[in-house]
Amino acid sequence: MKLHVQLQCKNLHQYLRELSPEILDRLYNHPATCLAVYRELPSLAKSFVMRMLFLDQPLPQAAVALWVNKDCQRDHDECVSVLAGLRLWHSQQLQGGLLGYILNPIFKDNLRITLLGGGRAWADEGSTLGPDRHARDIESLDRYATERWEVILHFMVGSACAAVSQDLAQLLIQAGLMKSEAGEAPYITSSGFQFLLLDTASQLWYFTLQYIKTAQSRGMDLVEILSFLFQLSFSTLGRDYSVEGMSDSLLSFLQHLREFGLVFQRKRKSRRYYPTRLAITLAAGITSSSSCSSLASTPGDAGFIVVETNYRIYAYTNSELQIALVALFSEMLYHFTNVVVAQITRESVQQAIANGITAQQIIHFLRTRAHPIMLKQTPVLPPTITDQIRLWELERDRLQFTEGVLYNQFLSQADFEVLRDRAQGLGCLVWQDVAHRVMVVTPQGHSEVKRFWKRQKSQM
Amino acid sequence: FSPEDEINLLVIVVDVNPIWWGQQAQREPEFTLSKCLDAVLVIGNSHMAMSRSNKLAVIASHCQDSHFLYPSKRWRGGDSGEDDAPSSGDGKYELLSVANKLIADEIRNVMTKTEVSGNSSDTLLAGSLAKALCFGQEIKSRILVIKAAEDCALQYMNFMNVIFAAQKQNILIDACVLDSDSGLLQQACDITGGLYLKIPQKVALAQYLLWVFLPDSEQRSQLVLPPPAHVDYRAACFCHRNLIEIGYVCSVCLSIFCNFSPICTTCEAAFKIELPQMVKPKKKKLKQST
Amino acid sequence: MVNVHKGVLVECDPAMKQFLLYLDEKMALGKKFILKDLDDTHLFILAEVVQTLQERVGELMDANSFPITQK
Repeated sequence: MKLHVQLQCKNLHQYLRELSPEILDRLYNHPATCLAVYRELPSLAKSFVMRMLFLDQPLPQAAVALWVNKDCQRDHDECVSVLAGLRLWHSQQLQGGLLGYILNPIFKDNLRITLLGGGRAWADEGSTLGPDRHARDIESLDRYATERWEVILHFMVGSACAAVSQDLAQLLIQAGLMKSEAGEAPYITSSGFQFLLLDTASQLWYFTLQYIKTAQSRGMDLVEILSFLFQLSFSTLGRDYSVEGMSDSLLSFLQHLREFGLVFQRKRKSRRYYPTRLAITLAAGITSSSSCSSLASTPGDAGFIVVETNYRIYAYTNSELQIALVALFSEMLYHFTNVVVAQITRESVQQAIANGITAQQIIHFLRTRAHPIMLKQTPVLPPTITDQIRLWELERDRLQFTEGVLYNQFLSQADFEVLRDRAQGLGCLVWQDVAHRVMVVTPQGHSEVKRFWKRQKSQM
Repeated sequence: FSPEDEINLLVIVVDVNPIWWGQQAQREPEFTLSKCLDAVLVIGNSHMAMSRSNKLAVIASHCQDSHFLYPSKRWRGGDSGEDDAPSSGDGKYELLSVANKLIADEIRNVMTKTEVSGNSSDTLLAGSLAKALCFGQEIKSRILVIKAAEDCALQYMNFMNVIFAAQKQNILIDACVLDSDSGLLQQACDITGGLYLKIPQKVALAQYLLWVFLPDSEQRSQLVLPPPAHVDYRAACFCHRNLIEIGYVCSVCLSIFCNFSPICTTCEAAFKIELPQMVKPKKKKLKQST
Repeated sequence: MVNVHKGVLVECDPAMKQFLLYLDEKMALGKKFILKDLDDTHLFILAEVVQTLQERVGELMDANSFPITQK
């Protein structure tokens, strides 16, 4: 009975594995998707794919097994299951009756096209538009992307100045990051709090996954928007691309991306758009897991937080958002133009934990945004502080509750052992005490164990 | 924002010796320099496609000269977004299209503009390797040599220096040899822990490159790869650049000579011994230590 | 005959267990709630008291903590 839910962030492969085979095969029709999927493979599997990419015959499975050192058998098995799970290769009967592997022909053709060309262009040429009179340089694109993304985060923490479209607010609610009670402004959920403490790349990927989940209900084609996203992530920063040839649903998707800051489009009706760094690094968020991902924080922001052993936090920032984030787990003391002073207390940390934020996330947040002066010392954060934050979290977990059904007063040791072995076999045994002949099973396992016991009785 | 992953650089050194390739085109018209460069592009593209942090450099090793084909001076950098930058019209990953076009332009430039002066027809491989080493400094890199022409004993000293520098910097040197075995590269691969392979079929170069040389050192530990080749560890003497098994070694500076001379030509140490034909000369078995 | 009870298995440290035994004995939750004392770190209790129990433990922790910082 955990009181809060951990924010689950799937990586690309976990997500793809849940799609139906038909959708997967359609996805592999676009070179960009094939390249994105290929890049996320384990490195050994990449070697496998490369070795088979230019073969048109299936290879005997036994031969493939011999590619790998004997002591790396487990890596081999993992590769085989990943490649099969993503439908990147199939088993096929060879002439002599042996089983062989052959790459999924759609995937193979499109990965070849990514590497060597010989296919159709991914999208219509941007250059046909001629040079852009309002061309954007990379700095301004970066600035734009950061601003847009921060507006969303501001909106989540309830900053008055942040306004987002109805669509986006709806999306945040559907993603479970915010909640809205009839007629009231949406407010942040515990998942939302956890989301805020992630780094930008992970936030982006999580948000994208949520977007894709609801895309079909908006009448969008999953394959179309996924392909477009991957295509964006392989585009060149600072180049303009044309909207020519994009379908209506893709155009409305582009408007959403524009609101998130993934693409820059000067006007709604502009015929060209610029992918921003957010779109291009989207793939970077795919690999990192939810809480312990790479250090990358908001761009252009060097660390700004100083934590002292007296539980005080000095945050040298005037960003409303960062201040709001610090306030998630501390008590604000003073607010100046360039710095806020806050105090970490037991109450403030426990409040944060009640909101679903973990001690680990708080510590990660502080460490990744630590002021350069803090970075000079090891460990970066004073151990008293990090330990105390963890202890405060543990305080809440001094009791662990597991629902169950207790069996006791067995007449013989044999009776007890028979029933216990059965419960163990069913995987529903929670606790046992052989000496006192007591055991606890899960409520789900109870009926089956009871039935077994009755059968056992009648046979005796 | 900045990708945390470590940069992984592959430097490909291609032997473009025009004399060898000219003869090759007559011997085997189905495997010419352009075919070889196609194969180089395949492995280069595959390497860059593998991960965002993978980077590529290609160096053409000509007679008395070596040129960077990619990245080249004329490169405006991937981020500049010039409007005339070639974009992919055939479905190829944009980054690769740009790189391939540059490499093709540069090699055309090199092959048409570089002149071969009469006396020297050897490939300046040691120089190219030195360039590759300098380029790959301070990042994780490895070097792949695609070797066509014969070894040049004249470069022995420079070559060995480059090899030990690579060993010190932990840079692998791989060699894919198209024609006759190269003692120098065998030593280079053996010392730096790279792979040496003389390919039996030249037309299948691309497949050999993808199967054997594309996996980086981490992947190689998991794969079964060709066994290490026999290494020809003969040294070249400093006086005539002959490959010798037994020779004279200066006790001061360890220079190697095929003939006895009373004064070391490298460090000018004088050997105070009686006439060479009378006494046992300072004769040592050469055992190269790594 | 085998006896069967539905309830909740509680795992805790021995000190916390003594606190629960104390609450049970004093009928602090209005009734006895421990169905079976299993061992030093395990108890089997009524499911309906879990919520109240957590509140009481929270109160105990609050009572035992003191501000470690001055403002």
